[in-house]
Amino acid sequence: MADASTIRPADRPRRSYLYRVLEAGGANFMEINGAAVASDFGGTAGDELATARGMAIADLSPLSRIGCKGSGALDWARAHGVTIGGSNNTAHLQPGGELAARLADTEVVVLDGLKGTGALPHRIETEWSLDGADGCYLVNRQGANFWFMATGAHAPEMFAKICAVDLRQAKFPAGAIAQTPVARTNCIVIRADLGGVPAWHLLGDSASAEYQWGCLADAMGEFGGRPVGIDALRRLGARPE
Amino acid sequence: MKILNCPLNGPRNISEFVYGGEVTEMPDPNACSDAEWADYVLMENNTAGVIREWWYHAATAYWFVAERNTVTDEVVRTYPAGALFKERVAFGPPTEEGGR
Amino acid sequence: MAQDNRLPPPHGLLIDRDKPVSFTFEGRRYEGFAGDTIASALAANGRWVLSRSFKYHRPRGVLTMAGQDGNSLVQLPGEPNVLADREPIAPDMAVTGQNYRGSLDRDRASVLGWFGKFMPVGFYYKAFYKPGNAFKFWERIIRAMTGLGRVDLTARPGYCDKAYGFCDVAVVGGGPAGMSAALQAAEAGAEVILVDENPALGGSLAYARFDGDRGRADALRADLAAQVAAHPGITVYADAVAQALFADNWLPVARGNRMYRIRARAVVAATGSMEQHAVFRNNDLPGVMMGSAAQRLIRLYGVKPGSRAVVVAANDDGYGVALDLAEAGVDIAAIVELRGKPGTGPMASAAVASGFRVLPGHGVKEARASRGHRHVTGIAVAPLDGDGKPTGPEERIACDLVCMSTGHAPNAPLIYHGGGALAYDGETAMFAIKSLPDHLFAAGSVNGRFNLDAVLADGRHAGRAAARDAGLDAGADSEALADREAANQSHAFPMFPHPGGKDFVDFDEDLQYADIVHATLEGYDDIQLLKRYSTVGMGPSQGRHSAVAAVRIAAKATGRPVNAVGTTTTRPPVGPLKFSHLAGRAFEPVRRTPMHHRHLEAGAQMMVAGPWMRPAWYGAPAERDTAIRREVRSVRENVGLIDVSTLSGLEIRGPDAAAFMDRMYTFAYRKQPVGRARYVLMTDETGVVIDDGVACRFHDRHYYVTATTGGVDGVYRTMLWHNAQWRLDVDVTNATAAWCGVNLAGPKSRAVLQRVCRDIDLSPGGFPYMGVRMGRVADIPCRVLRVGFVGELGYEIHAPADHGEALWDALLEAGRDFGNVPFGVEAQRLLRLEKGHIIVGQDTDGVATPHEAGLDWAVAGTKPYYVGKRATLIQKQAGITRRLVGFTTIDPNAPVPEECHLVVRGAEILGRVTSACRSETLGKVVGLAYVAPGQAEPGSRFDIKIQGGRIIEGEVVPLPFYDPGNRRQEM
Repeated sequence: MADASTIRPADRPRRSYLYRVLEAGGANFMEINGAAVASDFGGTAGDELATARGMAIADLSPLSRIGCKGSGALDWARAHGVTIGGSNNTAHLQPGGELAARLADTEVVVLDGLKGTGALPHRIETEWSLDGADGCYLVNRQGANFWFMATGAHAPEMFAKICAVDLRQAKFPAGAIAQTPVARTNCIVIRADLGGVPAWHLLGDSASAEYQWGCLADAMGEFGGRPVGIDALRRLGARPE
Repeated sequence: MKILNCPLNGPRNISEFVYGGEVTEMPDPNACSDAEWADYVLMENNTAGVIREWWYHAATAYWFVAERNTVTDEVVRTYPAGALFKERVAFGPPTEEGGR
Repeated sequence: MAQDNRLPPPHGLLIDRDKPVSFTFEGRRYEGFAGDTIASALAANGRWVLSRSFKYHRPRGVLTMAGQDGNSLVQLPGEPNVLADREPIAPDMAVTGQNYRGSLDRDRASVLGWFGKFMPVGFYYKAFYKPGNAFKFWERIIRAMTGLGRVDLTARPGYCDKAYGFCDVAVVGGGPAGMSAALQAAEAGAEVILVDENPALGGSLAYARFDGDRGRADALRADLAAQVAAHPGITVYADAVAQALFADNWLPVARGNRMYRIRARAVVAATGSMEQHAVFRNNDLPGVMMGSAAQRLIRLYGVKPGSRAVVVAANDDGYGVALDLAEAGVDIAAIVELRGKPGTGPMASAAVASGFRVLPGHGVKEARASRGHRHVTGIAVAPLDGDGKPTGPEERIACDLVCMSTGHAPNAPLIYHGGGALAYDGETAMFAIKSLPDHLFAAGSVNGRFNLDAVLADGRHAGRAAARDAGLDAGADSEALADREAANQSHAFPMFPHPGGKDFVDFDEDLQYADIVHATLEGYDDIQLLKRYSTVGMGPSQGRHSAVAAVRIAAKATGRPVNAVGTTTTRPPVGPLKFSHLAGRAFEPVRRTPMHHRHLEAGAQMMVAGPWMRPAWYGAPAERDTAIRREVRSVRENVGLIDVSTLSGLEIRGPDAAAFMDRMYTFAYRKQPVGRARYVLMTDETGVVIDDGVACRFHDRHYYVTATTGGVDGVYRTMLWHNAQWRLDVDVTNATAAWCGVNLAGPKSRAVLQRVCRDIDLSPGGFPYMGVRMGRVADIPCRVLRVGFVGELGYEIHAPADHGEALWDALLEAGRDFGNVPFGVEAQRLLRLEKGHIIVGQDTDGVATPHEAGLDWAVAGTKPYYVGKRATLIQKQAGITRRLVGFTTIDPNAPVPEECHLVVRGAEILGRVTSACRSETLGKVVGLAYVAPGQAEPGSRFDIKIQGGRIIEGEVVPLPFYDPGNRRQEM
């Protein structure tokens, strides 16, 4: 693995949709899944952890994810080892730390865990074929969507400035999913806390990544929100629930 | 801001939805008269009372049916389109329609 | 003058005497305290004239102290029409008056008041409508005289944003009823938002008097406010105005720089009532104010509103006002009781016991003023005759303050917004709620309850009902609901015109008694007509104080009951609202391709294309034409690459994929070979062209289809809508953002691609024109389409979006030795036009059909069905009225026609130009135009009417203009 200081997003073919914004924000990068992920923004670990507990956003766009869609999608995914919840708009944690978000009777998205092994999405991709998966079709969620995470106690207030769905903890429990506009672009919002700190995955149109990041930064300003790297999220997640 | 109860996503602001017009039955395009076809594609029934309407939740690309009272603007109920459309619609013999 | 009118504590609930604030008004410096409004601080300093009236430029001052009138509008440097009785003072704030010529105190335009009798209602309509152009002349003069305040065009709006709010019960109004309702609902487990326009909760408890002793109101206010503050279920939005009530309990609430959009399950309107002024001559003088305004000055701001007062009363509140004034050290000259005898309630008894002089059965003939009408100096009263007209011997009473306590009107805009109704109740002489919509509850004086115990009970009742409506268990109603007992609150006091006029019904619009009567005499006797003709209620205070008086006068003038005159409907917003509140942060979504920053780095001029940004050309704005020419030449002679990520992608997969394609598009796809692309053309059920692209068949059951930039959302929605009914076994996925694309075009494109793509046989035989392949380009898994939009050998390379920038870099690098340059949308449009390709939306319009657009070759008429087939057939039989053709100009040096220049035959319009350019490659003008069907054969000539009406001649030529044999794109 290359020395952290030498990792530059543009050195790799797969790049986050907003790597320039992260670089301009002072991010340091680490390699995950063949791409550069912001590991931290130069602050001390304690600082970034405190920020993440209060109000932070992180870019996880280079991490693996894949969608299964079609009338047979849930059955096929289950048959290939994905645990999927019984109702739509709920997400289910997998043994490896991945998340299976059931979006409809006909669609599920599998998000890699913060470890970033990519094992489960990769396995789905290799085991699938158009001839061999009746009614199940893969969706390139990695290309289609940016993937951010918003964390911290102030995040519901921040979301209330740009999203009409009530995402407060009491109303939007862990595992809940809302597919709804956030700052006027359609997104998937998934509540998935990290070690007791409230956290929300946010997936949306990859072409709107810079726009959306700017909206989030604007909305979280009054709460002292800042971007953090995946290191802080991993530390939060490593703590017992 | 009105609320519409999406069968997939629950109650949401109506700005999340796209209106798709009244649910109407298409006349047989190969058998109906020109006038019947023109009536189907160009005219609105403009019924005063409860009608069935198409609505689309944009964030989930989900079409469903709402029954709405056009006099009071009350949405009486909403349900998946599958409740009305259960069977594969054919327009010709399978050999001409390819694929299957 | 240093706040000579300031009263000692406990007066002045809202001010902080430890924090002096210095500001200027009309250039003069004044001192006030933090918590003062502009008006209260000026009043503390004896400054009463705040503004000049709209029409007659009469001096105006404090009327309500509640932000409900238009008398207190002042100018701030960046903001006109600020409510002086709501806006807090700030250090060094520079306040001026508005709507005057010269100075606020000596307004030269006040001469207009003398001409008042020559300017009756409807004056403008009548005086200027003949001769026809007279108004144009007068308009300039009128416009210069009218309008309130100055807009500073250089002012920058502050940071305004929006936020959503969520609750079970929203209570609007933080007075005794609202606080009781909030507490009751919260006790039932409801999540409550309590909205109040004032900085501190309390409503009327903070300033009004409910009985002889005011101690109860103070204690109650403190107790309720403390309970509210301590309750975890209640969130208070203070200093916030609920501007409207929209469908399904949606409340926009403006607070500071933020607009909240609160969604509640149920709403309680505890919005109180507004005092109504009496109508008598000179009732607009500074120093004549609502009784509640005097109480607000005393209690909230610690300001003594005058030294010698006359109270004009038609209810018992007037006696409470007199008690408060006396407590504040104001002499009570008299209580002019419009009713036949003094009140009998506790406040009236206390006032009578205090020895105040009460003149029952008296009315006001006029108020009198100092020179210049800058303050009231006295009042002329007389006993009322049998009709209630003051006709007896006149008595003049000197005073510098006249307080009017003559009635209330419910503050009911939210009830109107929600669809509720109010009607005039003759018994109480007030408008009363007649019906409420679902989920809306009213409590307190807006609901006709004025007795404090009744108000509290009404609040609790509404809070419980709202919580129950929101789905919570609120328990049974344990207390009986008090009746409406407004009989002592309002009085249908008689109104009579004064021969000298200036007896104002509407202060905003300077409408006098006679104006209303005149309007009814001219036939405008329904309130809706009366309002529009006389403009009553159309000023800044929106009829809050004029509506009741106007309908009563109109009813009397036409001899009908008040309800026959009708009521006006209040519409949003409730109060003044800034555009910056409505705009918020104005988030404008913008989509960028993965190569966006590479375009910027290469000096591209970006253009908006639907939701996307695209490079128009690469180079400085001034070098536009040379840049486009260079890019075109590079593609024709060597190779160029363009970012086509904005073209949209749809994945059509499943056993019914081919059947679905056949139904959605006009062409035939069943027999399309795997590994081949085919043109797609989409029509709607009326046969109109709505989209086009190419379909790539990668598998028997998999088509990858492109759609136009910006068109995909509609195409995708339409596809899903059809299949929601057809139930074909097919999955449609919008993969637009998942894929990015680069079109590598030009005779050397194969050589460039060969450098970075080794696992696809790129030979002409191995990968022919209209072939599609999957393979790796620069080690990135790609879909490669051999399609040509620009008429050269070319490859469209689609890659996963997160690899887009790397793909772009690799192709640019690979083409370096071949003269590869990026080209933009402008060059592409030129290139495709040379090739005669249409752009849907540019060369087609909202009614263009395939036959009109010359796309009949892409219609497979033998299919059992496709969307639009029947309409296309009908048109085919009926014949077309225009046809899209390629043309050139007869004169090669003629100016290039522009889009939408008309194709004409004499005065007849036959069609129009849709695209045209001067082609360097071909050395002539080429374009597309709709012409009459009879002109569509090559060689036909037609006239084009260009800029300035000049006619140039065009000639139909076969398409494509460039490389008719298609050898270059198929090489």
